[in-house]
Amino acid sequence: MLPLSIKDDEYKPAKFNLLAKLSGWFRSILADKTSRNLFFFLCLNLSFAFVELTYGIWSNSLGLISDSFHMFFDCTALLAGLAASVISRWRSNDSFSYGYVRAEVLAGFVNGLFLIFTAFFIFSEGVERALEPPDVHHERLLPVSVAGLMVNLVGIFVFQHGGHGHSHGDGGHGHSHSLFNGSVNHSHGGHEHHSKQTDWHGHEGHSHGGHGHSHEGHGHSHEGHGHSHGGHEEPHDELRKGSSKQILQGVLLHIIADTLGSVGVIISALLMQKYELMIADPICSMLIALLIGVSVVPLLKESIGILMQRTPPSLDHTLPECYQRVQQLQGVYNLQEPHFWTLCTDVYIGTLKLLVAPDADTRWILSQTHHIFTQVGVRQLYVQIDVAAM
Amino acid sequence: MACEPNRARLLCMLSLTFSFFVVEVVVSRITASLSMLSDSFHMLSDVIALVVALVAVRFAEKTHSTNKNTFGWIRAEVMGALVNAVFLTALCFTIVLEAIERFTEPHEIDSPLVVVGVGAAGLLVNLLGLCLFHGHAGGGHGHSHGGHSHGGKGKRGKAVKAGNGSAGEETNNLVGNHNSPGDVRQRTDVSCKDGSEVQMNGNTYFDEMDLDHDSSSQLNMRGVFLHVLGDALGSVIVVVNAIIFTFVWNSCKDQKDCVDFCTYNHAPDHYYGNYTVTAGPCWVLYMDPTLCIIMVGILLYTTYPLLKESALILLQTVPKQINMHKLNERLLSLEGVLAIHELHIWQLAGSRIIATAHIKCHDPTSYMDVAKRIKDFFHHEGIHATTIQPEFVTFSSESRDSLCELSCRTQCAPKQCCGSADKKASSDCKSAAAALEVISETPDQAASDQVRPQTEDEVPVAREVESSL
Repeated sequence: MLPLSIKDDEYKPAKFNLLAKLSGWFRSILADKTSRNLFFFLCLNLSFAFVELTYGIWSNSLGLISDSFHMFFDCTALLAGLAASVISRWRSNDSFSYGYVRAEVLAGFVNGLFLIFTAFFIFSEGVERALEPPDVHHERLLPVSVAGLMVNLVGIFVFQHGGHGHSHGDGGHGHSHSLFNGSVNHSHGGHEHHSKQTDWHGHEGHSHGGHGHSHEGHGHSHEGHGHSHGGHEEPHDELRKGSSKQILQGVLLHIIADTLGSVGVIISALLMQKYELMIADPICSMLIALLIGVSVVPLLKESIGILMQRTPPSLDHTLPECYQRVQQLQGVYNLQEPHFWTLCTDVYIGTLKLLVAPDADTRWILSQTHHIFTQVGVRQLYVQIDVAAM
Repeated sequence: MACEPNRARLLCMLSLTFSFFVVEVVVSRITASLSMLSDSFHMLSDVIALVVALVAVRFAEKTHSTNKNTFGWIRAEVMGALVNAVFLTALCFTIVLEAIERFTEPHEIDSPLVVVGVGAAGLLVNLLGLCLFHGHAGGGHGHSHGGHSHGGKGKRGKAVKAGNGSAGEETNNLVGNHNSPGDVRQRTDVSCKDGSEVQMNGNTYFDEMDLDHDSSSQLNMRGVFLHVLGDALGSVIVVVNAIIFTFVWNSCKDQKDCVDFCTYNHAPDHYYGNYTVTAGPCWVLYMDPTLCIIMVGILLYTTYPLLKESALILLQTVPKQINMHKLNERLLSLEGVLAIHELHIWQLAGSRIIATAHIKCHDPTSYMDVAKRIKDFFHHEGIHATTIQPEFVTFSSESRDSLCELSCRTQCAPKQCCGSADKKASSDCKSAAAALEVISETPDQAASDQVRPQTEDEVPVAREVESSL
C-alpha cells in the first residue's frame, strides 16, 4: 500500500546540514525583493559600523567605538526585520496552524519597543550631559555625521524606489505625511555612549545608517484608509507586496528619521563651533529622544491593536452593516459573539454564531453570510449555527 | 483570585522603587557621582517595567468584551510580559556596552562608602520586591491548583449542562457579552474573589476565567520578577564592588607624589619623574565590568524562556499541550463527522484556548447531535471557546468529503513562499451555488491543510469545475 501522506518530513533525518539550512535561508532572502533590499542595507550598515569601529580603535577614540556599538545595536533591529520577513513566509505546520505570518507584526512591535528604549536612554544621557557638560571635540564629529548622512541617503533612495509600487492613491499621501511625522529619531549613537567621563571624546556624530526598521507606522495607517475607501479587492501579487510594503515603509521611516537626526547633529555641531553653545548638544539629544518617542507611538498603537486581537480598524464602520444584513436573512433570529481580528496585514479572520429558526435553510444562510463578509474583505470566516429550540 | 493582591503588590513595589529612584538622584547630585546617576536611571527603567505590568493587570481585569476589543483585554498580560522581557533584553545590551567601555577606560569610584550605603539600601528594596513577587515567579500555584480542581468540577458541570439542551451552548461564551452588562459586572466581581465555591452554582466558566487570569497573570508577574531580580543583582554587584574597593584600593587622591597607572589618562611623560606610590591594584578596576557581564549572562538566561513563551502566544501557536494530529484523528473518529477543514487552535491568554473549524456532516438534522458531541470533545481537551461551522454534503459520494464547501481562501498563502508545489490542492469553491468544484482527490487527513487561493475576484463567478465524475 502506497503511503498517502505528504508529510515526508517524518522520513527526513532530524538534523540537517547547517550549511544547507543557511543556504536555504539565503536563497529565500534573495528571492523576495524586500528582503533582498533589507539584506543589502543591513550589510551596508554593518560594514559602516565595522569601519567606524576600526577607525575608533586605531585613533583610540572611545566615542567612535561606542558609536559603532550603537550601530551594531541598530543592525540587530534591521536583522529582526529581515528575520521577520523571512520567517513570515514559512509554511504553516502542526504547531503554527496559521503559519508564521504574524512574525512581521511582532517584529514591528519589538522594534517599536527598542526604539522607545533607545529614546529613553538617549534622554537620560542628555540629562546627564546637561548636568555635567563635558568637552565636545568637534573635529571628529562632522566627517562621521556626513558619512552617516550619505549612507542614509543611499538607504532612502533604495527603499523609496522599491517601496512604492502599487499602492492606493493614498500611498503617496501616506509618505508625505509620514515624512513630517517621522521626523527625527534617533540618530545618535554618538549621543549615548559618549561616556561619562569628563574628558570626553565627543559627540562623535553618529551617523548611522540604519536602524532597522520595520517601523510600519504612519504609512500603514494610511494604507488602512486606502482600504476602507477604495474597496477591498487586491490582486494576488499586490497582497504579497502589501505586507512587505509595510516593512519597507517602516525601514524608510526609520532611515528618514535617521537622516534628519544626522542633519540635527550637524546643525548642533555647527552651533557649537560658531557660537560655543555647549548646551546645544544635550538639548538636541533630548529633543531627538522626544521626537523618537512621539514617532513610534502610531506604530506601537497599531501593532498592539493587532496583537490584542482588536477588531480591524479598517472594518470598524463596515461591520455593523454586515451584521444587519446577516440578521435580515430569512430564518436568522440573532447574531451573537462576533469576533473579528487581524492575523497580519490585510488578513482578517472572523467567527460568529447565528441563532436560526428550526426550519431555516442552513446551507443557504451559511453561503449568504460568507458572501456578505467576503465583500468587506473577511475571507476566513467561521459561522456557527445554533438552531433555536422551538 | 489574585488580582487585588497583585495590584497591591505592584503598587507597593512601585512606590518604593520610585522613592528610591528620587533618593538616588539626589545623592548623585550631592556626591557628584555619575555612576549613581546612571544607576538611578536603571531604577527608573525598573519603575517603568512595574508601570507596564500594572497597566497590563489593570487592563486584563476588563475581561468583558467591548465593541472594538471583542475578546476583552485579556491579552494585555501577555503583552505586558513581552514588553518587560524586551526591555530587559535591551537593558542587558546597554549594560554590556557600558561594561565594554569600562574595560577600555576604567576609572575609580569617588566615594565608595556612600555608594555602599545607597547600594545596600537599593538591595534591601529589591530583596523586598523579590519576596513580594517570588510567589508568582516560579508559578504561584496556590491559586492555580485551586483553579484546576474547580476547573475539573466545572467541566463536569458543563458537560451536564450541555447535555440538557441547546441553550447549554451559551456557556461557551468566551467573555462576557457586552449585550448583558448585568452579567458582566457579576462575572468580573466573582473573578476577583477568592471564594471559588461561588462558581460551582451557576455559570461554570467563572473558574475558567479564574484559572486563565491566574496563569496569564503569572506570565506578567514573571516578567516583573525577572526585572526586579536583575535590579537586585545589580545592587549586589554595586555593593560588593564598593566594599572591595574600599578595602583593597589604594587611592591617589590625597597623596602627594602618587601616580595612577591604572586609569586611562593622558598624563604627559614628564610626570612620571618622581613618585613614591602608585594607585592601588589595577585589577580592582576591572572587577566591576566583569561582574556586570556575568550578571547580564544570568539575566539573559532567565529572560529567554519568558520572551519565547509570550512571543509564541502572540504568534498564534497551537498551545504546547495540544497535539494537532491526534486531535484531528480523534475528531474524525467521532460519529457523524465526515471531514474537518481549517482547524485552528490558538491561545488567547493563559489557559483560554480558542478553536475554530469547519466540520462536514451529512445533513442539518444530524448536525445538532454532532455539534454537541464535538463541543464535548473540545471541552474534554480543555478548549472551551469553539466555533464550529457546519458543512453539508450535497452529494452522497464519499469522494467529496474532503473538499471544503465554503473554503476560507486563505490570504496568507501568497505571502508564504514556495508556491503551491507541495501544497495540497483543494477546491476553491465559491459559495453562491451549491455545486461543488472538484480539483483533485485528497485524503481526508490532508484536507486540513491550506486551501490554495484563487485569483482574487469577489464575485463568485469564475469557478474551476473539473469534474471527476
